[in-house]
Amino acid sequence: MGGSARSEIFASLRKTGRGETQENVQRERLSLGSAPAPEPPATEVCEAFILNVLKNQGSVDCVSNRSEAVQAIAHYLYAHFHNYRLVTGNDSRLGAMPWRDAGVLPRFGSLEAGEPVALSYARLGVVETGAVVTWTGKATPAANNFLPKHHIVLVDKNDLVLTMEKAWERIHHAFEKTGRARGINFIAGPSSTADIEAELVYGAHGPHRWHVVLLGDVPVDARNIASAAGSDQT
Amino acid sequence: MEQRRDTFIDNASAALKNLKQAERRDIIASFAPQIRAAAIDSFEGFGDLRSHVKKIRQHSLDNLDYYLSQFEKEAVHNGNQVHFARDGEELNSVVLDICQQHDARRVAKGKSIVTEETGLNSFLQSAGLSVMETDVGEYIVQQAGEKPSHIVTPVLHKSADEIRELFQEKHDLGPRDLHNTSDLVVEACNVLREHFLQAEVGIIGANALIAENGYCMLVTNEGNGDLCANLPKVLIVCTTIDRVLPRAEDATAMSRLLARSATGQPQSCYTSFYSGPRREGELDGPLETHFVLLDNERSNTLASNYREILECIRCGACLNHCPIYTSVGGHAYDSVYPGPMGSVLTPLLTSLEQSHLLPNACTSCGLCEEVCPADIPLPDLLRDLRHDESTKKLSAPRWRYGLKLHSWLARHPSTYQALTAISIGILYRLGRKRGGFSKLPFGSGWTSQREFPAPQEGTFMKLYKAEIKQNNGR
Ligand code: SF4
Repeated sequence: MGGSARSEIFASLRKTGRGETQENVQRERLSLGSAPAPEPPATEVCEAFILNVLKNQGSVDCVSNRSEAVQAIAHYLYAHFHNYRLVTGNDSRLGAMPWRDAGVLPRFGSLEAGEPVALSYARLGVVETGAVVTWTGKATPAANNFLPKHHIVLVDKNDLVLTMEKAWERIHHAFEKTGRARGINFIAGPSSTADIEAELVYGAHGPHRWHVVLLGDVPVDARNIASAAGSDQT
Repeated sequence: MEQRRDTFIDNASAALKNLKQAERRDIIASFAPQIRAAAIDSFEGFGDLRSHVKKIRQHSLDNLDYYLSQFEKEAVHNGNQVHFARDGEELNSVVLDICQQHDARRVAKGKSIVTEETGLNSFLQSAGLSVMETDVGEYIVQQAGEKPSHIVTPVLHKSADEIRELFQEKHDLGPRDLHNTSDLVVEACNVLREHFLQAEVGIIGANALIAENGYCMLVTNEGNGDLCANLPKVLIVCTTIDRVLPRAEDATAMSRLLARSATGQPQSCYTSFYSGPRREGELDGPLETHFVLLDNERSNTLASNYREILECIRCGACLNHCPIYTSVGGHAYDSVYPGPMGSVLTPLLTSLEQSHLLPNACTSCGLCEEVCPADIPLPDLLRDLRHDESTKKLSAPRWRYGLKLHSWLARHPSTYQALTAISIGILYRLGRKRGGFSKLPFGSGWTSQREFPAPQEGTFMKLYKAEIKQNNGR
């Protein structure tokens, strides 16, 4: 069935197709250029990214180094769960964090039933949409993105890109070395649904809290935006 | 799609009488356009983006044979099995075969309009499989034994009270508080979580296929599609051949249009790209992945004058803005695809003979085209379908003769003007005292609902000519 269906479908498509050579098709696509992207809400990238994360109902902590990152995560865990446990993938960058300094007890692996928090280390942050990007692999089990009640995502300031086009450049570049990942996830907020009477509810199938920890030399103004929103939320 | 669509008028009349549902449609008709407008107003380049994506879509469809085969090659390279299906029956059989090869008993489904089109759920269920829709709205619709009434918000027609009652009846969970909407969502998701964890097969749709790297794009807010794509051992992606785009950046450019037009967001919560089975060292993900690519009249539509409807990105904006859809709701169309886009697509996927009433569900207000992010000339396509309907003599003879008469008169302006002057004159004289008519010969369609106002003396042309004469005399 598959074979004859395939040949029949391609035969009818060839009738309507232009029958152009590969070079011509690719040249025509190239001539169409790239899509316009929206202007960021601020000129400084961290500020723009943070504003968009907040718009997506995320919360943000800004930290300068790994030690501060661990402290901020510990603080978040205690504030929400009164303990210091979380699950995270086998990411060497996460393995090398000074967890003990803040008493955090990470379990490295894939989220299991009853575990409410997972931490992912994003490959990229997209300023345009306030999204973080992860791709599947040992370092980022999919369950850690989609099953916890709270999803914490660490993202390096150096990994912020302005647009989704720039994100693809970086993704394709990374895959040249490693091969293509099975899944690439742009995550822009906690899971939500407005299916019942158009009332927005957070925490549908996935996380109901989404917390981004931005790591690096983040300007004071951007930090202030994040902390002001944080104090609004608590 | 086996439904008959000659029931549109009866369905629409019944829907208009259901005031509770009409209230909810009124809410969506005011709320959805507002959030869409706000999202678009805050993005200055939206018009340019729309034109850019339109060109990309046209280019992709012009070279669909090339891009589809490129997609197939890349998807196979990524470790997928790619199947083609000429029609719904073939798609259903391919999917069932895969399920049976794995002795699967449970299937978790993400939202997929294409599998609604093919009737996959009932097909799999009749073969003994347990199939669960996992999008909250789709799950409710499935539990109620109904069909979605909107392509983005499928359970728009049901109130929270009705859903509460449904859950009390269907979920054997004892006494509990389901007072808030969030209680209902949590309960649905808890029930579904069990199913996710037990399902052997996950089925999802795709918003786009990417030729250059063989990935599919999946856009959701709930994340249920991602659970379907990641938890079961086998993943089947069902979509149609026309969804292919050349590059990854084309898919995300399209998602910029989609999220803003559908839900007023700059980006949906989850925009995911999947291709192929679990890689070495991965802790989760399917062990086997399939793409099933359906034609079902798309290649014929591509060869027709209606090919632009294939550029639809299923955002639902034309439904939310359509005065007919927002008055009668999705079920009146008795098709998986309601509203303006459905009134074009359904006759093309079934036949005009079966569905010729749908292109008439249009006031020619033009709003659908104005808001369509894919820039599809929906009113023109609907008009052309009505023209075909008339040419094929599918519309009522009285209507066709009336149209013929109208077209003859429009081509003979002096006769047209003379006849309208006579009838306006008569109506003016008869109606000037009462101000309107509650009955009129040939006008019962109007007067059965409301008074027909008596015209002023003289036609527009008469006044216009007098004005010109006066101006020339000055
Ligand atoms: S026809 Fe246009 S407005 Fe309607 S669903 Fe498709 S893309 Fe959206």
